[in-house]
Amino acid sequence: MFKFLSVVVCLLLLGACAPTMDGEAPEALKPGVDASFAYAGDRVGHFGFGQDATSIQIAGWDIDVRPDGQGLPVGSGSVADGESLYEEQCAECHGSFGEGVGRYPLLAGGEGSLTDGRPTKTVGSYWPYTSTLYDYIYRAMPFTQPVSLSADETYALTAYVLYLNDLVDDDLVLDQDNLASIRLPNEANFGPDPRPDVANTRCMQNCRDPNLIKIVSEVVSEAPTTLPINERTAVQSQQHPGQATYDQYCSICHNVGVGGAPTLDDAANWGVRLSAGVDVLVSNAINGMSSASGVMPAKGGFVHLSDEQVKSSVLYMVENLAASQ
Amino acid sequence: MSQRELDNLINSIAQAGHRVSGVERRRFLKSGLLMVGAAASATSVAGASESVGVPPNIPPWSKRLGRGVVSHPYGSPSPHEAHVQRRTVDWLTADRIASISFTPLADLNGIITPSGIVFERYHAGVPEIPPDQHRLMIHGLVKRPIILSMDDLMRFPSQSVIRFLECPANGGMEWRGAQMDKLQFSHGMLACCEWTGVRLATLLEEVGIDANAAWVLAEGADGAHMSRSIPMDKALGDALVVFAQNGEMLRPEQGYPLRLVNPGWEGNTWVKWLRRLEVGDKPWYHREETSKYTDLMADGTSREFTYVQECNSVVTSPCPEKPFRVKGKYMIQGLAWSGRGKIKHVDVSVDGGVSWHQAQFTSQVLPKALTRFALEWDWDGSETLLQSRAIDETGYVQPTYGQLRQARGTNSIYHKNAIHTWKLSPQGIVTNVQIS
Ligand code: HEC
Ligand code: HEC
Repeated sequence: MFKFLSVVVCLLLLGACAPTMDGEAPEALKPGVDASFAYAGDRVGHFGFGQDATSIQIAGWDIDVRPDGQGLPVGSGSVADGESLYEEQCAECHGSFGEGVGRYPLLAGGEGSLTDGRPTKTVGSYWPYTSTLYDYIYRAMPFTQPVSLSADETYALTAYVLYLNDLVDDDLVLDQDNLASIRLPNEANFGPDPRPDVANTRCMQNCRDPNLIKIVSEVVSEAPTTLPINERTAVQSQQHPGQATYDQYCSICHNVGVGGAPTLDDAANWGVRLSAGVDVLVSNAINGMSSASGVMPAKGGFVHLSDEQVKSSVLYMVENLAASQ
Repeated sequence: MSQRELDNLINSIAQAGHRVSGVERRRFLKSGLLMVGAAASATSVAGASESVGVPPNIPPWSKRLGRGVVSHPYGSPSPHEAHVQRRTVDWLTADRIASISFTPLADLNGIITPSGIVFERYHAGVPEIPPDQHRLMIHGLVKRPIILSMDDLMRFPSQSVIRFLECPANGGMEWRGAQMDKLQFSHGMLACCEWTGVRLATLLEEVGIDANAAWVLAEGADGAHMSRSIPMDKALGDALVVFAQNGEMLRPEQGYPLRLVNPGWEGNTWVKWLRRLEVGDKPWYHREETSKYTDLMADGTSREFTYVQECNSVVTSPCPEKPFRVKGKYMIQGLAWSGRGKIKHVDVSVDGGVSWHQAQFTSQVLPKALTRFALEWDWDGSETLLQSRAIDETGYVQPTYGQLRQARGTNSIYHKNAIHTWKLSPQGIVTNVQIS
């Protein structure tokens, strides 16, 4: 807290240490720069814009919770209630034991791993405060339905995630009064930012022994994505008639692979498709197709496109496929 | 060429792709491609070839009329620039909703990043917010809690500044070794725009903060309700609540209609879709300032509230996306930036850091903004280790990997600003390397 004392002093001295906007204020703003950048506590309501916020309005949005428990709503929830809620609403992504499904985050485990080569940071192994868990679950989870949980449900889920981390007993009932008293093991290991923490010097000559320079890691790159300028102009000197349609309608899925759409740089995927012949591709694009990889709606879902437009965008795709190799 | 012939050709290209490889394959595809292109463009101009626009020929576009005004009421880049795109790296995140994309730095010029290619980072997708429904609530330790509409907000005095925006995880994949194959991915969580908005200090004056006010919680209206604690000295310093970027309203991906801008500080404090500012006496320690965006040291301790983006630089030409083709004279170019102020010098090394040459600035030098540098160099065609090293006005010199690792280990993810090395091969190909 000490480093913020200076702020309070600033406020008291009203501008004695006025923070200035570093550098280039536009000329017109320059006169009176300092005065306008000092916090002037006597200007409350100077502009008078906006409405006064009522306590009901504030309550509707004021969802934040702090480590000391400030902001916790009245409510309670048990580990047992949390377990069933967790199975219903969380386990599909975070796993029944908090082990994480696929690349979704782990919620438990990793104790003692913070000094390992590959540390595992979880609520139990890393997070400093229990309040963060309550706050985050309510504000952002379940991922597809944020701010949908009640206070009781959020307490129950918080209790259950703590339980998954072996931090509380299975009979815990969490509420607004006891949550802040549950301390997490890694709290003491957080501290302020000491940077700058390195001191390089500006050496210009003979800065190191050339014989000691070795390449210790290297990323072997594919062919450059950008053709050299002269070749690029040659290839693209006229816009393909199918490009406009592709850019407007097909790129939505095919540029990044939405819904399993093959992207233009996926050579292997297109190699297989192309072996059926371009006519087949055109007809599938016009009529739609589906397979394990996904659903290609007829004309990409844009039924107003003419068959000719779709055909020419398929030809454009096929060419661009080659161009990206 | 008939459709059938065209099909055959395309098939043979596809099949050939399986047999031959490398340069041969590319050469084959390219020549095949030109034929396909010529055949497939029904509208193709007679004699279209590589030299169609080159003297002594008079190019076709000089002999006819182009399209008229408002055929593109909101213009977009030339179709020849279609390769200039944000791209993502799928293995970094679980999905594309809580994810990141990268700015195509290799194709940028000057210091301004066009709004449409500014990298994206968000945790619950991009919300669609009708501006007339958007509200900013300011409350907490204040005398007059208020709710502002966008109209209200835009009546306050506003100002415009050019500042860089960088995710603290930029380059964070490289702590243990070179990992990203392109400049776009090694340094592309970076952008620089002109931002227009109201000073947060102006808004705090309007509501009147209490004597014990020391922190401000900023919170977004997206599904993640992204939140960060901002200390009062920053809030009353150069922080802005902005509605415009590069002269137009913010792009949806950048927080439309309202975001916080904390110049020089890590991007995730620049809370987007800003809906709420709460004034308090202590920080909140929310998920994005505990679980994430804290820096884990080798000894298992962690640094919290590591806001500043320290001085950094990178060579953008040559780079993996911009190889050299022939020997001879080049301008080695790059970008430098510092969250502590202006860039003072940039030095370039073409021998892996044995000797350094001071580069020139080729842009304005603004505080907390991207700054462009260049150095003329005659490449003799031999393998070269290229580096840049920036020094900011505080005298801080961009560190080496060795120095950073010595101070922090390799697990901190965030705030990696080490001197970066590109290897230029005799073929002109550029790869990402780290050297001892
Ligand atoms: C559809 C998948 C999904 C579901 C269901 C889901 N989550 Fe998550 N959860 C995520 C993703 C994705 C993140 C990371 C988001 C990010 O990085 O911004 C996350 C992050 C978290 C975190 C923070 C992890 C960390 O270490 O920072 C917690 C805690 C959490 N979820 C709890 C829950 C709880 C409790 C539920 C059930 C109410 C739930 N989640 C349901 C996908 C999901
Ligand atoms: C909503 C997403 C979506 C849009 C929009 C879309 N596609 Fe597709 N497309 C797909 C998916 C998914 C597949 C893979 C389907 C499969 O393999 O079953 C696919 C496959 C294809 C294929 C390969 C067909 C084959 O026979 O293997 C072609 C060609 C194609 N799309 C062309 C187009 C064109 C042209 C457009 C624009 C007019 C378009 N797509 C728009 C999702 C889309």
